[in-house]
Amino acid sequence: MTVMAGGSSERDARTGVDVLHVDMDCFYAAVEISDDPSLRNKPVIVGGTGPRGVVASCSYEARAKGVRSAMAMAEARRRCPEAVVLAGSHGRYGEVSARLNAIFRRYTPVVESIALDEAYLDVSGSHRLFGSSHDIAVAVRETIRDELGLQCSVGIGSSKLIAKLASEAAKPRTTATGPQPGRGIVVVAPDREIEFLHPLPVSELAGVGPRTADQLSRLGIHTIGELARIDQGLLCRAVGRAAGVQLHALASGRDDRPVVAHRTVKSIGHEETFPSDEYDGCRLRQEVLRLVDSVATRMRVAEVEGRTVTLKVRFGDFATITRSHSLPGNFLSSSEMAQLCCSLLDSVELSGGVRLIGVSVSSLEPRGSGRGRQLGLLDPSGEVEGGALDTAVGAIRDRYGADALATAALVASRRAGRAGNGDVPVGAVSHDRRAGGRAARGR
Amino acid sequence: MRFRADRDTLLEAVVTASRATTTRAGLAGGIAGLQLSLRGEQLDIVGSDPDLVIEARCQVAGEVDGNVLVPSRLVSDIIRSFDAGAVDVSAGDEEVRFASGQAEFTVRVALGADITRLGSLESEGIKLPAVEFADGLRQVVRAALADDSRAPQLTGVLMEATESGLRLTATDSYRLAFRDFDGLSVLDPGAQVLVPAKALAEVQRLVAGMKDNGAADLLFRHSDLDAVFDLGTVRITSRLLRGAFPDVQRLVPLSYEYELSVGREDFAAALRRVRLLVRDSKDVTTPVRVSLHDGGVELAVLTPESGRAVESVKGEFSGTDVMVAFNPTYLLDGVEAVRSDVLQLRVTDPGKPALVSGEGAGEFRYLLMPVKVS
Repeated sequence: MTVMAGGSSERDARTGVDVLHVDMDCFYAAVEISDDPSLRNKPVIVGGTGPRGVVASCSYEARAKGVRSAMAMAEARRRCPEAVVLAGSHGRYGEVSARLNAIFRRYTPVVESIALDEAYLDVSGSHRLFGSSHDIAVAVRETIRDELGLQCSVGIGSSKLIAKLASEAAKPRTTATGPQPGRGIVVVAPDREIEFLHPLPVSELAGVGPRTADQLSRLGIHTIGELARIDQGLLCRAVGRAAGVQLHALASGRDDRPVVAHRTVKSIGHEETFPSDEYDGCRLRQEVLRLVDSVATRMRVAEVEGRTVTLKVRFGDFATITRSHSLPGNFLSSSEMAQLCCSLLDSVELSGGVRLIGVSVSSLEPRGSGRGRQLGLLDPSGEVEGGALDTAVGAIRDRYGADALATAALVASRRAGRAGNGDVPVGAVSHDRRAGGRAARGR
Repeated sequence: MRFRADRDTLLEAVVTASRATTTRAGLAGGIAGLQLSLRGEQLDIVGSDPDLVIEARCQVAGEVDGNVLVPSRLVSDIIRSFDAGAVDVSAGDEEVRFASGQAEFTVRVALGADITRLGSLESEGIKLPAVEFADGLRQVVRAALADDSRAPQLTGVLMEATESGLRLTATDSYRLAFRDFDGLSVLDPGAQVLVPAKALAEVQRLVAGMKDNGAADLLFRHSDLDAVFDLGTVRITSRLLRGAFPDVQRLVPLSYEYELSVGREDFAAALRRVRLLVRDSKDVTTPVRVSLHDGGVELAVLTPESGRAVESVKGEFSGTDVMVAFNPTYLLDGVEAVRSDVLQLRVTDPGKPALVSGEGAGEFRYLLMPVKVS
């Protein structure tokens, strides 16, 4: 630990940059590799394993073969036939993400988690204890490597904009000869911001998707520097006033969005696209139970409780409906969520075939915020109330892993999946792997 | 169809029948219909949704008999807007004309099938003491489940024959209210019917709105499918609910550890005050902490976001101190349903049901599960 001699704790005295963007390197794939070291140095792809699956994450070895996030799995397998393809476990990633956030909070309370694998840290109050922003970044990376066996890239800048672009610059690179380690940490000093920013392609800016990039390209704008130099009025006419003003500010390095701790999560949900339209009510039910289980796990990790559960069903013709139900006021236990979702499912006409099914929980509040739980008169299992059961299940999973136990219905669905074509549902993988089983793997 | 009616008489009948249609507005393509049927001097106005039919009868000066379906909300508003006096109504195939004074409305008839009426208004029935029965409804209906998607049978009130008379029971699974009417034999021995609370709330409202209090008879009859209540010129017919009502009497403890006697109005006023801190009406997880101690009770609501409120009420309590938390709205529902001046709160422990009742055993009891606080 470095103590800043007489320095102000308001700003980093050395560099004047207090915003860190920590981005995990190919997070899902890295978690799988960390859980099973035999996968190290192999091309690993995590994503939907069915015919309609897409790549969620892949190791740098797979990227070297041309595999990318959001690519169709079929295409990814074609480009990299030797890849180990895993369905992945969102519950497990949620657990790792919670441990990551716990590590971040050792260094600053101002942590804004923007995805499972990405967070902004404002370290302006941490210099006295932990040293410069760069020192903190080094410490965070070492802690994550030692405790979780995972790599991350850290960008440091005076704003979220710069920090995020800097972390991108710190990432490992894929080259024809294989992955090259990145710089790990990139600090952009305030007087170097424009120099850093302007050569980058516009598509790197938050808010510039393919469509906006296309519109800008028609104006002859390809780099952020070109964007900064264009007349703002012209820009607004091309992309709309609000977007134009914001893009112009970002391109000029102006970003005053603060790092907001505990961004309120509005809902937590999961959905699953079936390899082919599903007609079997029993299988749909099992899938709903599995989704409820992973949503409940994520809620537990995020330390929130919710009152409203929503079931989403997309039919074979892409028509999509949602049905939701709230308890009169209590927070939902996972068994109540399962019960409500199944009764919602029963109320839907499924004979047209189901393409996608999703479960989400909203009206979330931090767990145990001085509130109580209304007890029921008629609870059939009066001895073990749902909340207590969830707590016990959570404790067992913390200790023995996500697959240590599951409801009987889910165990049955895992068996079915394993006996089938290797198309194993999320959450069923890691147990097999620890036992050395390979049946669940793609080729 | 053509008739002339008194504005006040017509309005009362239209508003009464509309109560069946407004509960599910938007059902018939956005227009809930009221059916007007004229036979001689008698106009029947019928409003319905699939589970509930309300028929209101009034005397008019009839000219041409007939039937017509009109949009209920619009027609109620039109008649309400007229000054006191005569209203002339005449119906063609596609339009209905309402005229009063210099005002004239021509309204398109509502779309939809004719409303099926269930039986005729002249019927046999068992006479119920209207005011007492409605008072029991007021006490019990509040405990029924409002939303029907979870457990439809809990949206009903169970009417059952007991050894001593009639019992009404309702529960939403968090609280349970029941009321006994000794000596009132309405149902066959051992019989029970499950009537939607929505329909009974209309019965209660109708009795409460009677002009000459208690003069009209309340008649009740039921079949396997429907229950029918007649009060004066109004008939309420409701589908009965299917499904087994839970066996709730077994939930009522035989004895309690602690017993508080307290002035009902003082307790209710204190509870209403501390409840002010619960800002969200759907929030049932912020409890009122009820601490029983020697000489009375303390009510406290603590919220992280708004603050806290504490109030003590003197009462009779002996025993060791005990704290039980309740949903303040559920507790107040029970307290307000008690009629006697003295309220009794019986508690066993913070995880077991508590009983709210009037002084003595009483014919009304309200069982409430606590909120568990950590």
